[in-house]
Amino acid sequence: MNPVIFHVDMDAFFSSVEQLDNPSLAGKPVIVGGRVEERGVVSACSYEARAFGVHSAMPMFQAKKLCPMGIFVPGRMKRYQEVSREVMAIFREFAPSVQPISIDEAFLDMTGTGRIYGTPQEAALVLKQRVEGEIGLKMSVGIGTSKYIAKLASDFRKPDGLWEVPPGGETDFIDQFTVRSLWGIGDKTAERLRLLGLTEPKQVRSLSRESLMRTIGRSLGSFLHDVCRGIDPGIFALRESSQSISCEETFSRDISDPWEVSCRLLSLAHQVIFRSLDEQVLGRTVFVKYKLTDFRSFTAQTSRETPFMSAEEIHSQARELLRSRWNGDPPLRLVGVGISSLSPAGEQVQGELFEDPYGKKRAVEEAVHRLKRRGSSLAKATSLLERYDKRRK
Amino acid sequence: MKFICERESIIKEISISHEIISERNTLSILSNVLLENTDNTLSIRATDLKVSFVSRIPVETVTPGSTTVLCDKLLGVLRSLPEGEISFDVQEDRMVISPVRQKKINFRLRCIDARDYPEFKSPGKESFTIAQKTFVEMIDQTIFAVSDDETRYYMNGVYMEPSEQGMTMVSTDGRRLSYISRNVERGVPVFQPIIIPTKFLNLIRKLSSKEGEISLGISDSYLFAEFDAHHLSSTLIEGQFPNYRRVIPDEHEFSCVMSTKDINEALKRVSLLIDHHSKKLFMDINADSIVFSSEESEIGNAKEEISCSYTGEPVRMYMNFSYLMSPVRVMESEQVSINFTDPAKAVTVRPVPEIDYFHVIMPMQS
Repeated sequence: MNPVIFHVDMDAFFSSVEQLDNPSLAGKPVIVGGRVEERGVVSACSYEARAFGVHSAMPMFQAKKLCPMGIFVPGRMKRYQEVSREVMAIFREFAPSVQPISIDEAFLDMTGTGRIYGTPQEAALVLKQRVEGEIGLKMSVGIGTSKYIAKLASDFRKPDGLWEVPPGGETDFIDQFTVRSLWGIGDKTAERLRLLGLTEPKQVRSLSRESLMRTIGRSLGSFLHDVCRGIDPGIFALRESSQSISCEETFSRDISDPWEVSCRLLSLAHQVIFRSLDEQVLGRTVFVKYKLTDFRSFTAQTSRETPFMSAEEIHSQARELLRSRWNGDPPLRLVGVGISSLSPAGEQVQGELFEDPYGKKRAVEEAVHRLKRRGSSLAKATSLLERYDKRRK
Repeated sequence: MKFICERESIIKEISISHEIISERNTLSILSNVLLENTDNTLSIRATDLKVSFVSRIPVETVTPGSTTVLCDKLLGVLRSLPEGEISFDVQEDRMVISPVRQKKINFRLRCIDARDYPEFKSPGKESFTIAQKTFVEMIDQTIFAVSDDETRYYMNGVYMEPSEQGMTMVSTDGRRLSYISRNVERGVPVFQPIIIPTKFLNLIRKLSSKEGEISLGISDSYLFAEFDAHHLSSTLIEGQFPNYRRVIPDEHEFSCVMSTKDINEALKRVSLLIDHHSKKLFMDINADSIVFSSEESEIGNAKEEISCSYTGEPVRMYMNFSYLMSPVRVMESEQVSINFTDPAKAVTVRPVPEIDYFHVIMPMQS
């Protein structure tokens, strides 16, 4: 049986959510990003704005110049995450295996679902209709026998696209791209390849893996060799495991009360633990990031031999790291918490002599996480927060 | 003030002071070492506000007095000077350091007034003495099992309590535990159990001549130690040490006895190929042999068989290799025993014949 992989990419996700929540924005050039006076950049823009040449990561002042009638809105990350969770919940209900790779992108392994959904294209159509019907957002689906091909295919006919690369058609499909436009090839690499006369996948195919590896380096050579033959170089298998997981919050007003900061840290620690549960990893390093009113930004971290098991454990370590460096003055405008030195959660097999103080808490967090995945709106193990609030009073 | 002394006699004390003084501190005077010079004696003091150190060495007092100088630089200067007598002379706010026989070399270090230096705690009345050798051996058997997890701060030190005929020291990181209870001939007065930071114990271990006595005193959450020419004090770790007795297995069904030298050497070799992330050591115990091996990895693997005496069924166990290596490394008996009932439950490692210490290790699951 050929693998059937979907790559699903939400169209102009942030700006589409803005248009969804505020119908008067529909059909207009919506630009989401930071404020001009704060040297913000575009984080997303609608297709209407793209027609003016606006693109993401462009400084806001430049976007304003290109598209003066644009509707500029500040990002609402929480809302986007909320919508993302709803979309991912539909994917999880629909597909046997889902691998989210960012807030608005996921791989769905649809192998062996023919009897349930019919052909891959029929399945993709049903999924697109469901997401549009239930959430109101459009997306593009790429179908292929590997993640790499599916990823290229979803980008092939954006927006509202649906493109299937049939089994065996991978090389023909790749040949419609230039080397520069292949995913994973940046400007500098493309320039190096151009100097070697390698601009078309066909030219790359004329060279053996060994000679490619010799001329352009082992990893790039091997990558290019595979990609130009429509073979997945396994890049998303690698991406699946993050190097670190972190969450940060920029406060709407600066905070100088260490207690309030500690409460925010706890909430961030929960987000971190939920994401780590999603990815099935544990971290042995905890780090905090904080930014003062004057924009000076600092980080601190600590590592230990055994992984941090629960949000509360991460929180108490993060609070400790911050406490020894910041005492309320000057106020903070941002805090972040994260874990790194990640390892698969299953590897944690060291027995405990004493009852593990964090074992029970982790069990609660795992249960909340399962409920969330089923669509519950529970945000965190709230009993912990209540306790903190009480102590505060 | 002015004094003259041999480079060799002062450099050791300054280098110990340097270890105590923490690199990151907010008060600049805490980076300094205090020097008090009277009656042909120099007393050297250093502190990080938790651990304090006082040592006395003989010098030739020219003019008595006291001052403080940056310890890090003083050590650097002393290391750079040739052997022989050195003169230390405070002129206004500078300490002039130069070798007595080579006046061409001249360092001038800035001083801070000794009056600004934090006061030292004085030991309480209650104190007792035990042999330095005994105390250092007790530290050796326990210090490695202390937890480095700051969230379990109450495990960041060695627990010490009086026992019927002496005293007991216990350490644990929650996954392994080390225990030693030693008789003290003259007895030990009853005291409230304490948790001693590792920095302090390491310092004692390093400074001790292991000859003669050490006097220990406890008061107001401080521990004082006096031995040879050294006076040390340390704050204690507050908090509740876990109920360690509950996790010490009463008895074991099986026992596997082997040569201490054999297991030490085998572990040293096999550990070379153990993944330093998982730390997983495989132990296959058979009737007359025990096989230690590492997990197969991209790099390869290692395996070593040593003879043992064991009467149970063949069994496989998994363990964090360092949990086994660190206790067997400090065992002085010719043989050791690994005792267990169930390969997934706590294992006890003891010297053979049994004496006053043992180590409990929680294995890993497959």
